[in-house]
Amino acid sequence: MKPISFRCVLVLLALITTPVFAAPAIIANKNVAGEKLDAATLKAVFLGKKIAWDKAGRVTLAVLKAGPVAEEFLKGAAEMSVSAFNNHWRRLAMTGGGTAPKSFEKEDELRKFVAETPGAIGFVDSATADASVAVLTVAP
Amino acid sequence: MNKNSSLPGLGRVVLVSLICGALAGLARGAIPLGSNSNVQIGGFIGQGYIVTDGNNYPFEDKDGTFDFREMGVNVSTTVGDHLRIGGQLFAQRLGNYGEDKVKLDWAVADYNFRQEFGIRLGRVKYPKGLYGESLDLDAVRPFIFLPMSLYNPVVRDFNSAFNGGMFYGNVNAGKAGSVDYKIFYGAIPVNPDQGVADFFNTTGLYASPGVTYLHIDHTAGGQLQWNTPVNGLKTVLSYSYLNGLDGIGKFSAYPVANVALHTDRYEYTTLSAEYIRDQWTFAAEWQRVAGTFNVITPFGTSISESKVSNWYVSAARRLNDKFEVGAYYSSEENDNASPGSPSGGNHNRDWALSLKYELNEHVIIKLEGHSINGTYDMFNTVRTPNSVLKNHTDYVAIKTTLSF
Repeated sequence: MKPISFRCVLVLLALITTPVFAAPAIIANKNVAGEKLDAATLKAVFLGKKIAWDKAGRVTLAVLKAGPVAEEFLKGAAEMSVSAFNNHWRRLAMTGGGTAPKSFEKEDELRKFVAETPGAIGFVDSATADASVAVLTVAP
Repeated sequence: MNKNSSLPGLGRVVLVSLICGALAGLARGAIPLGSNSNVQIGGFIGQGYIVTDGNNYPFEDKDGTFDFREMGVNVSTTVGDHLRIGGQLFAQRLGNYGEDKVKLDWAVADYNFRQEFGIRLGRVKYPKGLYGESLDLDAVRPFIFLPMSLYNPVVRDFNSAFNGGMFYGNVNAGKAGSVDYKIFYGAIPVNPDQGVADFFNTTGLYASPGVTYLHIDHTAGGQLQWNTPVNGLKTVLSYSYLNGLDGIGKFSAYPVANVALHTDRYEYTTLSAEYIRDQWTFAAEWQRVAGTFNVITPFGTSISESKVSNWYVSAARRLNDKFEVGAYYSSEENDNASPGSPSGGNHNRDWALSLKYELNEHVIIKLEGHSINGTYDMFNTVRTPNSVLKNHTDYVAIKTTLSF
């Protein structure tokens, strides 16, 4: 039997110690399901430049305060780190430029808020999304 | 002014930080930003200590002072799909400026028709450069003082907002990114109690205590921000002017009569760029400030050109969850210096180094040092006395801010 190589041990250790999460999923209230969403629109929504849907009323943003899901989602959707995103919204909210996102510690609470709030959009680990919300995909 | 204290500056600010930290714990429960409420409440309280070696700058602080604080509380809510209303009260003390008087900082009704077009009416934050609208947001940067060549805190009470209206919007430019625009017009109420008065008072034209009447007819301008396709890079062009700026007071050379400074148009043109990549934030801005003043005395009227070049470059790096460091070099240059005037009086070159520590989500502590060569924009007035201006000034500031 071949001895286990040092490289294999490192890979195993990395798998054990790396937090496991699936890709972030964009979730929205079911009344948002019919909205057209491309990458530019998604960015405009999360940066507070687009504040109303075409048919689903006012946009209400729901974000996770921190964590790998937030980092990955915001890097992709808003092209910002969580820290830069928070600073962007602090600037807007404190200077009369926008209404800050609702922020949540737990994904379940965020999903519940989105499910109950018309116009709401947020993100969670895809494993957390369920039938209470619409899962949106970004058009190419 | 409170110049005597049994606690050294650092100790008092740390003590204030700890109290703020405890308050922050309460605030988390009291301010329901994450709830279903349609009303948002936010705010900040900052307390600092500053001591200078050299000249009193940016306000009276040579003996060290705790008269360095600010607070703001804002409330906003949404009405329907497109309307948002809100406002903020603000109070500040910077040496002998501000006196902790509570003032309406901004108050707007904002109707956003669509992404490309909205209207904001009321008392609106003044868009100038990268940070003109967010002067007070300690939490978003490592610096206690933004580069004073463009963001002098003494004039914050005058140029942070205007009463009027603004058109704004965001236009998608496809692969070229997007463009934010703002176009505004309004009035700026000014009075001799404000810090801006000392820019008149330090000219030597006015008898003590200085200018007794200040007026600006109106202000207008615009801003274009290009959110480039390069991730994290934006560039900004800002232009604005003050129309019909007047400062009147007793003439120092003949105090029974008045002297007046008047300009039809005082212009600010600012080019800015900011690049955020990973843990780094780089910024650079250049600004030209220009106006032609009539100096009206009992003995006749003369013309005085004012032309100043301001610029800075800055870099900041977040080290980890708790610490961020930053540095900048900031320069003001009088481009219309009087022949024979000492060169140090026509420039102000400032090296700054800052450290920010985040005690928790709500409380930060900052430490900052400055080394300045030159005396341009350093006052000798009743509120900021410098009977003999020295060519070099160093100062250290420490500040803690609670935001919620």
